[in-house]
Amino acid sequence: MKSIFTLLTLSAFLVLASCSHKVSRIDPAETPDISGTWNNTDSRLTAEAMINQSMTDKWLSEYVQAKGKKPVVIVGMVTNKSHEHIEAETFMADLEKSFITTSKVGLVQSGKKREEMRSEKADQQTNATVSTLKKFGLEKGADYILQGSINSIVDSYKRKKTVTYQINLELTDIQTNEVVWIGDKKIAKYVKN
Amino acid sequence: MKKLLLSLTIIAAGFAANAQELALDQNPNYKVSMDKYLAVQTSPVTTMNTTVQDTYKAYDWRTAKDEKKAERRAERRENRLFNNYNNRYYDPYNNNRNYYGRPNQYNNYNGWRW
Repeated sequence: MKSIFTLLTLSAFLVLASCSHKVSRIDPAETPDISGTWNNTDSRLTAEAMINQSMTDKWLSEYVQAKGKKPVVIVGMVTNKSHEHIEAETFMADLEKSFITTSKVGLVQSGKKREEMRSEKADQQTNATVSTLKKFGLEKGADYILQGSINSIVDSYKRKKTVTYQINLELTDIQTNEVVWIGDKKIAKYVKN
Repeated sequence: MKKLLLSLTIIAAGFAANAQELALDQNPNYKVSMDKYLAVQTSPVTTMNTTVQDTYKAYDWRTAKDEKKAERRAERRENRLFNNYNNRYYDPYNNNRNYYGRPNQYNNYNGWRW
């Protein structure tokens, strides 16, 4: 009788334990593939490839040699033309960070953040003290604009599916429209349901 | 004569100043394009440093199967609701009255059958 009671208690505990919601921290560098869609690992691999390609390519050394200073880059638009919702900011931010930490490439603010900066500057014109207010017209002009696109190819039949992502980043000379660097990263996946 | 000379000098100075603005090999009609893009200057600001989502729907056998299943289920449910409402009838022999003619307290039948 006692053993039956113990067994029942144990089984009840196991059932309850299996139903409980569980959250655990994992290493961002080792995100497991769960559904097969775009995930943190893909973003990280893209960032690593783009950082490596952009920093070692000849465009950088050529610019420094010709101008004697580091180039200034502004981040433009990235178009996601794949079949999934992908936010490029995750790997673009890593790339931007590498520009700053290596001090090889200058970076200027763009988009809504730049608008906010100007708005703050405008606010300072009437509210800040004369000695601390920041002037208009002294922003650093970018030499290059960084733009990109994300594309995907899906091939599926019954329970098997292959997905190929292609991420392209282009660096264009704002003055001459000349594309000086194209970085690319291809990620292929085989998903079996 | 003096006035004419002065105005000619001013015009020449103007041309010279204009010519000085042009950089080496710069297109003299650059202002046409500049004015055009200055007028729409604020529009790219909203898309800069952002990801524009221009996604497409890829065919996936499993997703398509699930979608068809859900569609069929919704259709069946809709038909059932519609047909049930229109095809109901009154059953005088089972109108929720017990042997003594009193309402049956164990269910909610009111004589209307689906």
